[in-house]
Amino acid sequence: MLTIDAPLNLRAADRLAGFPGFLRANGFGVGGGDAVAVLQTAQRVGMLDSAILRWSLQALLCGRGDEWQRFDELFDAWFLPANRWQRPQRRDGDDRTLRGEWSEGPAGREEAEDDDALRPRRSASRQEVLSSADFRSLTEREHTLDIEALMRRFARQLKHIRLRREARAHRGSRIDLPTTIRRSIPSGGTPFHVARKENRQVRPRLVLLIDVSRSMALYSFFYLRLARALSAELSDIHSFIFHTRVTAVSQALHDPDPWRAQEQMHLLAQGWGGGTRIGDSLAQFSREHAARIVHSRTAIVVMSDGYDTGDPQRLSDALAQLRRRARRIVWLNPLCNRPDYAPVCQGMQAALPHIDLLAPGADLASIQAVLPQLIDALR
Amino acid sequence: MTLTRAQEVAALQQDLARAGYIAEPGLAAALLLMQDLERPLLLEGDAGVGKTEVAKVLAAVRRTRLIRLQCYEGLDAHAAMYEWNYQRQLLAIKLLEHDERGVAQKEQDIFSERYLLKRPLLEAITCAQPPVLLIDEIDRADEAFEAYLLELLSDFQLSIPELGTVPAVSRPLVVITSNGTRELSDALRRRCLYQYIDYPDYDKELAIVRAKAPGAPAALAAQIVAFVQGVRRMELQKRPGIAETLDWTAALLRLGISTIDKDGAERIMDTLSALIKTRDDRAAFPREIVARLAAAC
Repeated sequence: MLTIDAPLNLRAADRLAGFPGFLRANGFGVGGGDAVAVLQTAQRVGMLDSAILRWSLQALLCGRGDEWQRFDELFDAWFLPANRWQRPQRRDGDDRTLRGEWSEGPAGREEAEDDDALRPRRSASRQEVLSSADFRSLTEREHTLDIEALMRRFARQLKHIRLRREARAHRGSRIDLPTTIRRSIPSGGTPFHVARKENRQVRPRLVLLIDVSRSMALYSFFYLRLARALSAELSDIHSFIFHTRVTAVSQALHDPDPWRAQEQMHLLAQGWGGGTRIGDSLAQFSREHAARIVHSRTAIVVMSDGYDTGDPQRLSDALAQLRRRARRIVWLNPLCNRPDYAPVCQGMQAALPHIDLLAPGADLASIQAVLPQLIDALR
Repeated sequence: MTLTRAQEVAALQQDLARAGYIAEPGLAAALLLMQDLERPLLLEGDAGVGKTEVAKVLAAVRRTRLIRLQCYEGLDAHAAMYEWNYQRQLLAIKLLEHDERGVAQKEQDIFSERYLLKRPLLEAITCAQPPVLLIDEIDRADEAFEAYLLELLSDFQLSIPELGTVPAVSRPLVVITSNGTRELSDALRRRCLYQYIDYPDYDKELAIVRAKAPGAPAALAAQIVAFVQGVRRMELQKRPGIAETLDWTAALLRLGISTIDKDGAERIMDTLSALIKTRDDRAAFPREIVARLAAAC
């Protein structure tokens, strides 16, 4: 039962109740109902000891690692007296003015329609979007339907892999005892109808590594749209972009709201369109993410032109290391379908011994053409 | 006299320490809140930072049972919830063959509670005293199971088709751990309290080694922790967790090594298999590097 009497006075309760909204504006995944939980928590732990309140609210309101890391700063910003903080702090009932000033993470959905004049930071960030990289094409209508259709087909064929494997293994080799016994009761315990358990479903996990360096500028958005369409179809897929380092983008791509996906991509893409160090990026991937993500049924798909400014030996080592962990490595190279193309650049030379398939993929038509090969390689 | 929250947190920290777990006050505060709000606690962090240990020690401190559900790929609701005792059922069917009763009645008899085997989830909600329910490595189970679990955690009742709905006798303290191999659903995250557990810093790890390996002299313990912290700063595929630190301590003690220094690098090399677990990482530790790390201790 929630009553806001002593020791929580009204002002404090008001401040507390506003905190989830503030976190939400800063990209936390908290909902409207959390205000009640915050007040309950504060009543339990008291307001006197700010450290205890901080820890309790941190446990309550955070949901993932990055929120956990950012919480302290936001807690200070909301609860500490204004003079400790340089930034202006106004609170006149309307949260939106505040959000605009404070917003550091990806902004909430409803803000898209808000008046720009209220939010200096957001309008500035929009200019940055235009000057650095135009993510609006990520969700452009044109071609989107075609891409989605092709990726649906691809996903269906991946599922088909599973079905064929099961068919070969005599679908359901283990006996389903509960069902068998239930069916045997009418026949006095003699199991005439043996029920079998469905075999466990195995499907390859996909890891996409997309090169977004300057030499790939023509193709990287196309690949990102592929990744976005594919993420909507498959559940077990992880996407990363790389140039001189590697960044996870699965969450941004997975966002159903196209506007928010763009905004998140923008935040992630610092260094977009710069130089390429494929070897370093892959080594970083294998160090930071591979242990978690890559298992013996994982297919890694690298989408890059292979123009590398780093050490080719490093690329070779990194790929060799990944090769030991993963089931397959496929390299999609957009330059590959030019008639005079040969993988002679240093990067491709270093990579070739370690990859299972080198396939062209400059546009939808060429991807469509290599789809059978791709499915074969992933099998 | 009622205790203030800060005193409660400190008391719980002491209890945890007595049970052999060194906890930050933040974790202790979350464990208290978990009981107040009756919400599960979701623990995330790298392998080997002591996530599972939290549940074990919580059960010890609360003097209650620990019920553990280890998740794995392909875990289905049945294996986690209940199973029928088939052998006894088969026997019973044979015995009932010449019984005069109708099929419906026989069936009712065979699917009664006598033939029910409780699996962790059912077990946890039918305990008289609220137990600690540990759902370990939930990221290994699939999304369907996660959704199913979510339903259990909101209603605290299970339904068994042959028996009907089983309501919770008591509400277990639920601790969920995840290594982050798969992104968990937002719905699950929102239902849980959250705690991110990082590798321990020097002071915390030293306290852990002192508590868990009382046989190690103070000076050696300090050197061991300094060495391991140095190893963790290196770029490795698999950074050593707390369990590895303790294994290595045991290995050093067993070999009678009483101090870590440059000259003993050869003997330290022999024990590194307790600390370094992959071939590539092992290659990153030639003698010179070990000597340099040892010299810095």
